[in-house]
Amino acid sequence: MRRRQRVLVVFAILAGAIAGIAALTATSMESRGPLSSLLERSASAIGAIEHAARRKIMGSERADALAWLEPNRTRIEYLKNPDRILFGAYDGGIPQTLDGVVDLERDLNTVFPLIHFYAAWGDKPDQQFPLQLVTAIWDLGSVPVITWEPWLDDFENTIHPAIPLRGKRDLHGLAEIARGTYDFYIDEWAKSAARFKRPLYLRFAHEMNDPYRYSWGPQNNSKEEYIAAWRHVVDRFRSAGAGNVIWVWAPHVAYEYWDLYYPGDQYTDWIATGALNYGPIAYWSKWWGFDEIFGQKYPRMAEFGKPIMIAELGSLAVGGDREAWYAAALDEIAKEPAVKAVLLFNKRDDQTVTSQRIDWTFAGDSAVSKVVAAKIRELTIPGPKTPRE
Amino acid sequence: MWTRREAADVRTRDRVMLGALTGIGLVAVVRMVDWWFRANHVGQPVLFAALSIAVWYGVARMVLGWVNYLAIRKPERKTAPAGMSVAIFTTSAPGEPLPMFEKTLAACARITYPHKTYLLDDTRDPMFRDLAHRHGATWLEIVDVPGAKAGKINRALEMTTEDFILVLDPDHIPFPEFLDRVLGHFDSDRIGFVQVSQAYYNQNRSFTAKGAAEQTYGFYGPGQMGLFGHGAAVAIGANCTFRRKALNSIGGHGIGLAEDLVTAIRIHAAGWRSVYVPEILSRGLVPEDLGSYYRQQLKWARGVYEVVFAEMPKLFSKLSWRQRLSYATIGTYYLSGAATLLYLIFPYLFLWASLKPASMYFDEFLTIAGPVGLTGTVIYLGAQRWLCHPQSERGIHWRALSLKIASWPIFLAGTVLAITRTDIPYVPTAKEAVRRRFLLLASPQILLIVLYLLTVVNVVEARLLVSEGALELTSQIVWGMVGFATLPILMAVGPLFAAWQSTKPEPGQPWDSVDLNEIGDDRPT
Repeated sequence: MRRRQRVLVVFAILAGAIAGIAALTATSMESRGPLSSLLERSASAIGAIEHAARRKIMGSERADALAWLEPNRTRIEYLKNPDRILFGAYDGGIPQTLDGVVDLERDLNTVFPLIHFYAAWGDKPDQQFPLQLVTAIWDLGSVPVITWEPWLDDFENTIHPAIPLRGKRDLHGLAEIARGTYDFYIDEWAKSAARFKRPLYLRFAHEMNDPYRYSWGPQNNSKEEYIAAWRHVVDRFRSAGAGNVIWVWAPHVAYEYWDLYYPGDQYTDWIATGALNYGPIAYWSKWWGFDEIFGQKYPRMAEFGKPIMIAELGSLAVGGDREAWYAAALDEIAKEPAVKAVLLFNKRDDQTVTSQRIDWTFAGDSAVSKVVAAKIRELTIPGPKTPRE
Repeated sequence: MWTRREAADVRTRDRVMLGALTGIGLVAVVRMVDWWFRANHVGQPVLFAALSIAVWYGVARMVLGWVNYLAIRKPERKTAPAGMSVAIFTTSAPGEPLPMFEKTLAACARITYPHKTYLLDDTRDPMFRDLAHRHGATWLEIVDVPGAKAGKINRALEMTTEDFILVLDPDHIPFPEFLDRVLGHFDSDRIGFVQVSQAYYNQNRSFTAKGAAEQTYGFYGPGQMGLFGHGAAVAIGANCTFRRKALNSIGGHGIGLAEDLVTAIRIHAAGWRSVYVPEILSRGLVPEDLGSYYRQQLKWARGVYEVVFAEMPKLFSKLSWRQRLSYATIGTYYLSGAATLLYLIFPYLFLWASLKPASMYFDEFLTIAGPVGLTGTVIYLGAQRWLCHPQSERGIHWRALSLKIASWPIFLAGTVLAITRTDIPYVPTAKEAVRRRFLLLASPQILLIVLYLLTVVNVVEARLLVSEGALELTSQIVWGMVGFATLPILMAVGPLFAAWQSTKPEPGQPWDSVDLNEIGDDRPT
């Protein structure tokens, strides 16, 4: 090669590299785009076809047991105000398997119309709309409940240059959401949810009034910012045609003034809260009865005129009588007509709020199982729920 | 087919294009490195290492191919000066068909540049002597010489005096202008040998022949042109013209299963240069049946490693770094057998033992590896511009690929034999019944298909028994793995057909229909 050619080759390599970088950066911005979603849709379709084929051959006990729900399962109006308590559970085995839910059901001799799980915001493939999981839940005969957590730190600045730098995102992060900074993510998720077509419950930015747990709490945001963000998200979903999404507003009712975070009747379908008894495991907790956690707050919650969901129900074993705790909790729920959904929190190694792993399951404790099973049977007698008093 | 052909010229804009594509490809490869080796991608650690080696061996070879193409070069046309003394050596061995030599020697007699043809014969068959005399060739009886063809060449070197020696394989029919196009390139005293392209005339007679020929097109076009640009154009046994001094300087033609490569690397190490002329100046035979193809590949697979294990360590310091890289690339080609085996067994390890080498999102893999594969494909197709006869050689070469995949046991055997320094056992030409031969030739594919069917039955059964709660959430990976296992089954159709076809050889011999009056541009009228 002559000198001129060599120089040309070097320039060509440089130009090629730059063009390549640009092209590849562009590709990765689109990496959650048409290709990925097409792949995910076909994967989910394969799963649904396989499930349908097996159901033809072997039948599905679970779906058969939920036949009572079937006529109403696609009716948004029913799911926004059911005529009876819908039970459900979250299990720690999700998203790898739903077997934990099925096992719990077998233990309690029931079948849950709702299955609950958590989904976080972010760029990673497992942080996109969980099509496969909601399809699997639907094919098992239930309705999915998703707690949707707006963690902002899992977005890459390289992919989204317009968002604030990592580390500076959480402060007034909800204001940024309201401003539309994260619409690239919200819209994609909303479109996927709309494409799913079947109803699902969405519990977005839960416990927004707890300053200790989550980055979307009041330590970073004002309640006005929270309400603006909520309304913005709901509006984005509505304009994406996701009318199948049912909005579950979920404050932490142990803190005062939780009701000031209410986004408004037009933006809320359900009101939810957690009811977890941590017992004496941490300096901030003691053995609290269900009445202390929830019952005393019930009248104020009921005032909103929306159905109430107990999104996380559970008690640890240490520090009191767990059997009695569950019995009292479910007896009380029976007397609270606005409570229309109860989701058990079946997680074996929870590390959300403590550094130690704590076990919320009661599968090994047959006394508790027996009580819970009996109470659930009582509460799920068909027909409209009526106050017992 | 019998017209002289040559590869296209290399224009500056082609180099710019190749440079740009290589730049893009390298960026994609770097991005893939960064993505691939993430801790959370590791599944079963040992399997992850194995998969990584297989994948990165393939990527590295592809990159080396790009680097090779960057130097692509075609020598200028040079007229052969009058008065050079040239010998043509062709060898005959017991069992080789006489009519084939008839064509070869007659064609040698028609080569226009003054030369002397020698038949190096150890058949002990008087018919060969008569044949040589009939075509004006000198008959040299060389018997009981160790080292097969190369041994005979070395003996003949002692018996002759010509300055330049064209070693012509007996199945190759040279064009009349052969020497006129070659000898001019010896204009510098430092040129040790001049190699021309190797082409075939029987590739349309069977699937095997076509696939085996396709496997060589790229090498005899842009591949060797790139090696030439890097100063490492290699001798390939047939159609190579040597300077006697160069052969003498390394103690004669190299001996062994890869005698051509050994000769080339020694000549390079002795400081000689080589020229590659990308022109079709002769056509020969490629294996027509699968058995012959496998035997040829085993011989090469075993032989080529000698370059890595025996020659490279000795000659390392005497080669330029570009020559080292080129010979290392050539010497590790047959590792693809081991890589193919790994690719074959991974899905079965998952489907039978739930062992997973890597935990990656398939869509991420596609967006990351896609640009690498796409660039590789574009460069592969783009470089086909420099095939010696693009009109007939261009294409995606799927037959070549299916044969290469099917050859993994052969390649692997060659690798293992080379590492253990075991000589190839004598493989007699099979004369068994047709049916048995089909089963023998097709046994790797048949075993694979049986394994596949058993696996699918097992998977379906397992899917009926798995709990309903896990069914849908595992269907993507299970059926994805079944899909990975299915690809080689589809690829096995080619070799199965080739094995079946090998039981019914095409009637007649390929050389029967060759008309010497139709050969070459400078054919005598």
